[in-house]
Amino acid sequence: MKNIVETHERVKDFDWKFSYNDKPKRYPTRYKIPPKTKDPFRHLIRDYCSMEQEKDDRQYGAMSDVIARSGMPGKASERWMEIMKLVLPITCFGEYAAMKSCGQLIDTVDNAELRQGYLAQTIDEVRHVNQQAHLARYFSKHSPDPEGFAQGFKLRSRTMQARAGQAALSGFFNADPIEGAINLQVVTETAYTNPLFVAVTEIAAANGDETTPTVFLSVQSDEARHMANGYSTLAAIVSNPDNLEHLEKDFDRAFWRQHNFLDPFLGAVYDYFQENRSSSYLEKWEEWIAEDWAGAYIAKLEPFGLKAPRWFDSARANIPWVGHTAMMLIAAAWPIMFWRFDPMTERDFEWFEKKYPGWYEHYGKFWEDYARITDPKEGTIPMELFNSLPPLCRTCHMPCALPRPDIATMRVRMIDDRKHAFCSEACEHIFLEEPHRYLGNPTLFEEFDGVDMADFIEQGGFLRADGKTLIAQPTLKRDRQWTIDDIRALKIELRDPLRDLPVDEVKAA
Amino acid sequence: MNAQSAAAKTPRDFTFIEPRKRRLTEYEAVTIHQQWEPGGFDAGTTFLRGPDGRAWWEAERTAIKHPNWFAFRDPAQHWQRTYVRMQAEQERSIERITEDAVAGGLFEELDREWLHSILGKHYRVWSFFEYGLFRAFSPAQREALSDSLGNAICFQSFDHMRLGQAVVAHLLTIENELEDYEDRGAKGLWTDDPIYQPARHLAEDIIMTDDWAEQTLVVNLVIAPILSRIAWDTLVRKPAPLHGDPVTPLILMTAERDRRRNLDYSKELVAMVTADDLDVGDANRKVIAGWIDDWRARVIDVARSLAPVAERMPRTNIDFEAELQAVASAQGELISELGLGGGSK
Repeated sequence: MKNIVETHERVKDFDWKFSYNDKPKRYPTRYKIPPKTKDPFRHLIRDYCSMEQEKDDRQYGAMSDVIARSGMPGKASERWMEIMKLVLPITCFGEYAAMKSCGQLIDTVDNAELRQGYLAQTIDEVRHVNQQAHLARYFSKHSPDPEGFAQGFKLRSRTMQARAGQAALSGFFNADPIEGAINLQVVTETAYTNPLFVAVTEIAAANGDETTPTVFLSVQSDEARHMANGYSTLAAIVSNPDNLEHLEKDFDRAFWRQHNFLDPFLGAVYDYFQENRSSSYLEKWEEWIAEDWAGAYIAKLEPFGLKAPRWFDSARANIPWVGHTAMMLIAAAWPIMFWRFDPMTERDFEWFEKKYPGWYEHYGKFWEDYARITDPKEGTIPMELFNSLPPLCRTCHMPCALPRPDIATMRVRMIDDRKHAFCSEACEHIFLEEPHRYLGNPTLFEEFDGVDMADFIEQGGFLRADGKTLIAQPTLKRDRQWTIDDIRALKIELRDPLRDLPVDEVKAA
Repeated sequence: MNAQSAAAKTPRDFTFIEPRKRRLTEYEAVTIHQQWEPGGFDAGTTFLRGPDGRAWWEAERTAIKHPNWFAFRDPAQHWQRTYVRMQAEQERSIERITEDAVAGGLFEELDREWLHSILGKHYRVWSFFEYGLFRAFSPAQREALSDSLGNAICFQSFDHMRLGQAVVAHLLTIENELEDYEDRGAKGLWTDDPIYQPARHLAEDIIMTDDWAEQTLVVNLVIAPILSRIAWDTLVRKPAPLHGDPVTPLILMTAERDRRRNLDYSKELVAMVTADDLDVGDANRKVIAGWIDDWRARVIDVARSLAPVAERMPRTNIDFEAELQAVASAQGELISELGLGGGSK
């Protein structure tokens, strides 16, 4: 132990003050970081490699041994397994973005101790990308329906949720490096990896999927170190009062940016793909985000000037609804997704009403109608139950029906002769602070405006190996599956709803 | 189509990656198309621009061009698991020989002048140069234009920090074993000793270089084959056994293994971007040859500035200039083999 501490003390002294150049300015930051802080984990490569090798051996060993031999993916709930087709391509986005974030931090933050922590995190993030891609491949080999696992990484960029995920998670790196660290380490890793990598594993295990917990819990064992990196970074930031003004704004933006994607996404995954039901996402959110993160972690930094994020109360008020709204819109547009849906049943209805009082009033009719039109012979898809889908937000790319269609906070603005929809006051505010970061980035509906849905499906690769059957299906039943001919017969054009909306009105979708 | 043939066609593996060989490898499956390529493999665009308006990744951040950076494959086929396993094994080999050296009292046998003049000074000072290379590869991995390149570069960044830390841990062990040695003063030599200022200047310049491919190829095709060979091999690894030092060569041999791997992927990168059937192949060849020309003479001069270290060898005479000529000549041959010009002078 003495050697570890002493070695660490010495490697902290690797940085030197440049004499022949200025310091790099590739990733400009507004923050001033002191050259010495504290790395509670004392990252040393020798111990790191040995520890990670052992964890890898355990995880990959379990996957290739007992889990595969016992055919566990085949025994898991089909309802649950389907959503992993979307989850893994999205989590891989986040891990990859995190790796790039750490590269920027190493270049920018003149603090050898933090640099060591960021280096270990960089390799961790490569690990997580590899683990989660390996899991997707594993499911493509072992799950009852591999379609969607086999192509998910190709199809994600044509899917609403994944594009919104890119918009949020690229905040880890395409930003001031410290703003990136706030998005990555302070908000997402500290607040949201517990709901993702711990709470989701509870649902997975309860639904017979033992493989996902094997991988996700191994991922989460690294996240504790990343949270420590975030805390060290944050402690370094607040130690200089000049940083507080930037910190407050970046923290507000980071929380909203991550919340507005992650909560609807995780809420939908958690609540709508459980078959053996247990707790709700709302319950997990209150425990992990409201109590542990905002109530303890952030509160501890209040004496140093850090306040709870500006839109936290608004987010908290929205949590009971955003997952349901996101799920309703995803399910409405099921043919342009790449997984199968299981209609909600009476048993599900009861659970929802118990966990989310008032749920039936707002979403019950949709799911009843949905269940009636799952057969192609009905000749319609749930999207046609609505006059149109809501436009997508210029800032976060989420549908502008949040938090709930009847109380949606959407607004449409004309800026520089172009119409923009925003899902909320927060997203409009964030846009107006730095419009150049969002202009010129078309939403899915803008990019494919006017394209026939059948062409979108066929050209985008959303068909199964037979070249006819859709990867997505509205039910898990296999007797009569939707084909491209069924969709072509509907003559549905993907149309950007923003085109038809008047400007400067706050409208419900 | 009957049910059987439909089932037979059902994909039981990723279908979105073009394997280099007949079957998709594990390395390819967990690596390729993890970086997003809007307008290419992916639909959409940069959904969140940088504060300066930049895209997620930008082709202009290197002077070399390629129509498909995702075609790159690391010859070592490393993904995180295989890379970390390999480095854990290397570190364990260092740990074991260190334990044995302690148990056998081998550090007592170290020539004290070797310990104080070479290990305590030059060897320790050069860990700062490795730290500089670690830093240089961090923005390079960020900016590389595909996942397979970014990962190879990322692993190289880790290599350099690993070596820097191994040197520190090694000298700390010696310090704990011997009463007449203390690891002090190397940083002052790195920042102020005239012998090391050309190297420090070079390290700062390579960190500051904005072109990720230039950083990568200059380090692996010029600095590693010339300067690292002189600084680590000529001045430390080769003379070490003559000074009662069996441990240091093993540590440096693990770094040589890393350098061979990094050279291999750099050769692969050069071959990919200068391929005969590539429209931009000739232009790329000129750009890379230009980089090598720009840095090579300077790197040789930096290596030559280390000549006074050779004069401190207690028990052997090193013909420094001959060693330098030999490594420069070998590097020249390497460059010629890659079709990047003569450069053996």
